[in-house]
Amino acid sequence: MGVVYENSFKFERSLVVGVAREARGVNTYTIRLSGEYKASPGQFNMLYVYGLGEVPVSISSLPVHRGAYTLVDHTVRVVGAVTRAILLRLGVGSVIGVRGPYGRGWPLQEAWGRDVVIIAGGIGLAPLRPVIKFIEANREKYGRVNVLYGAKSPEHLLYKYELEEYTLIPNTRLLLSSDTPSENWRHHVGFVTDLVEYIDVDTKSAVALICGPEAMMRIAIKKLLEAGFAGENTYVSLERRMRCGVGVCGTCQLGHYFVCRDGPVFRYSDVEEYFWIEGV
Amino acid sequence: MLLGYALVDNTVEFSETKSLTDLPLRVSDIQGPGYYELREGFRFRHGFSSPKWYLLPPEHRLLVVTPSYEASDALNSSERRAVLFGAKPCDLRAITVLDKILLGKHPIYTLKRRSVVGIIVEECLEPGNTCFCAVVGSGPTATSNFDLAYARLDENTVLFKPLSKLGYELVEALSLREAAREHVEAYYSAVERATSTMLKRAPSLREVVRALEKSINSEELWRSLSEECTGCGNCNYVCPTCFCTEIVDRVEETRSTRVALWAGCLTYTYGLVAGGHFRRELYTRYRHFILHKFLFYPRQAEGLLGCVGCGRCITWCPLGLDLREALSRVVREVE
Repeated sequence: MGVVYENSFKFERSLVVGVAREARGVNTYTIRLSGEYKASPGQFNMLYVYGLGEVPVSISSLPVHRGAYTLVDHTVRVVGAVTRAILLRLGVGSVIGVRGPYGRGWPLQEAWGRDVVIIAGGIGLAPLRPVIKFIEANREKYGRVNVLYGAKSPEHLLYKYELEEYTLIPNTRLLLSSDTPSENWRHHVGFVTDLVEYIDVDTKSAVALICGPEAMMRIAIKKLLEAGFAGENTYVSLERRMRCGVGVCGTCQLGHYFVCRDGPVFRYSDVEEYFWIEGV
Repeated sequence: MLLGYALVDNTVEFSETKSLTDLPLRVSDIQGPGYYELREGFRFRHGFSSPKWYLLPPEHRLLVVTPSYEASDALNSSERRAVLFGAKPCDLRAITVLDKILLGKHPIYTLKRRSVVGIIVEECLEPGNTCFCAVVGSGPTATSNFDLAYARLDENTVLFKPLSKLGYELVEALSLREAAREHVEAYYSAVERATSTMLKRAPSLREVVRALEKSINSEELWRSLSEECTGCGNCNYVCPTCFCTEIVDRVEETRSTRVALWAGCLTYTYGLVAGGHFRRELYTRYRHFILHKFLFYPRQAEGLLGCVGCGRCITWCPLGLDLREALSRVVREVE
């Protein structure tokens, strides 16, 4: 049978060349990959720690080509064994296993010439950060942009060292929220989804890109649809238990989709039949 | 290497057949919900294992990694050539289903599947008590994707049906006689009998699919259907099309081996992630098992169902839960 053999589980031995502290238990790692590595905003890599295993982590930057190497960022939050090991043991000069990129990313082509709304909750900004960077680099191709971002507290916000700079991107609005009040916090107190009512784009044709906890994404979808957004123009990035990245281990299924291969970014209208059902 | 159902210590396993005396030619299996027994006879259907045991083994090594992150292939890229002998029509359909999902994508499956150079199928003229292949259209006869099929009319009469060039060559090499008209007629009437026996055992596929489509949101129904399920995952492991795997690290002094293990969607860890659980409640996992087989596989495997009607999930369920009853209840109770 003419089938080419390839061990898709093989990873590349890679080097950590930068670490930035984001919040308690959250760091961003800059990883050096060999060659001209290409990845689209919204795709993810599998990161491997020796003796422990792999975790799927979104690529949180645009790949930067530097000579024979490519640099990509991964923002990692401590949740389980592998991420704990990454946070506790990895620093500049550490080795890590990387394979990818996997999955389908955000619809940046479809969004050409249209307004864009980005809604992120907590660490959900990580896969959307490269979208913001891409729009910034191709500003003339997109209409008005609204970035809605919220976290549990101001301390929990990611990329605090560059967040304010998003307001310098022409025709772009940044709306921030914190679930809890805090000293010196001059933005909204409440949920990030509360900010949907302040959106100032053409809701009929705008594209909405959402990532955060599923409960938050459900509320965001409800509010966007009420505000006049079309289900076909609304996208979510989903998480599931993932082991392979290529649709063969079966553990990331959502209905008939393999989230790792068919997602993680889905058009809302494509997953609507499963989106509101618990555990499907 | 010859692979097929072979007698090993008084049980039948789908494994390498080393000697013709290993073939289960003089046994019949008695199957029922939560019940399996081998007796003297000549109607062997199947045991707990299937070709999946060879094509996607319960445990398979993927990579060997050193502490300095040098990864090397742990796969044997020169598998011995194998002929599947005596696989059943349900098994054959299961291979076709797995091909659509894993071939060319899963390294182990691809290597093993590529090593299979011939498939010889034994058709079933008398279904076991838990069989319902006719309901899902995968049996009792084989129609495609094999080289040679045969059926045992009685203890001493075997009818052969070649399909491929290899099949015709085999028939020629064996200097077989053309089948007598009475034997062919006996074959067709046995097939008809087997088919009608099985069709009475479950609602029609159309009814099942329609009812399942409507059932997705019926939490109460699924809670009730799964009331006696313990979430052990045995149904997943014996199912010839279940393909989910988990990957673990086995650490030794100087290396760690990345090992893939079967994972069952009925078990608690299916959908569990650090910091949450996407299928915490058992009813959601039980529902996934059934919806996957009847609604989702067709959308993943070019229209093929994930259920081949072998009935293994019924026979090997420790509590004897019967999938056919669950399907009947869904058809009865949805609207």
